[in-house]
Amino acid sequence: MTIRVLFFGMIAAKLGRHEWLLPISHEITLAEVIEQVGCSECKPLLLAVNQQQVKDRTTIIRANDEVAIMPPFAGG
Amino acid sequence: MGSRVRIQEEDFSIQTEVEALRSCSKRIGGIATFLGCARDFSEGRDVSSISFEQYAGMAEAALQALREEALAQFDIIEASIIHRVTRVHAGDQIVLIIVGAEHRGPAFDACRWLIDELKKRVPIWKKEITPEGDTWVTEHP
Repeated sequence: MTIRVLFFGMIAAKLGRHEWLLPISHEITLAEVIEQVGCSECKPLLLAVNQQQVKDRTTIIRANDEVAIMPPFAGG
Repeated sequence: MGSRVRIQEEDFSIQTEVEALRSCSKRIGGIATFLGCARDFSEGRDVSSISFEQYAGMAEAALQALREEALAQFDIIEASIIHRVTRVHAGDQIVLIIVGAEHRGPAFDACRWLIDELKKRVPIWKKEITPEGDTWVTEHP
């Protein structure tokens, strides 16, 4: 089982990757995903699960979910 | 042309887009527009170009949600939003918001609200390319 973790902007630049297929053996929390991909120190941080923005880091992430780890938006 | 909400690489024609919105209803008495362009100077440095990145799918959905909220919240008739996601150079067009209403007040109010909310809620990022190096923009003034 894997989850797809996407990185954008300066976070992708810092990690040197835009995507990480993260293997999981069971459901984990969003906070655990952030830790496992090395983003615990990334601040500020915006988060989305399956393209829906979420703030609660206790959100449960399941196999095949898509998690986005994003810096503050800067469009326009 | 096409959808009222678009994210695209190519440039757009303000005249064509305003005409498309104006022709959707003869009740429109006022049209407000906001055009965002690439500046050649930022944070005390020369900027030669700006590179945009989006979260495909989520960005367009967020723009669509903004348009629907504006139509529900303001006394307006139609709104369109176009945002380019590519590498643009100083002076190039980036984003266009057009709002049509019976009267100017709601058109101006909705246009201002849409660009302010776009900067907060749509997953698009920009990197300024300068002679001193590249910088990801973090603020939304």
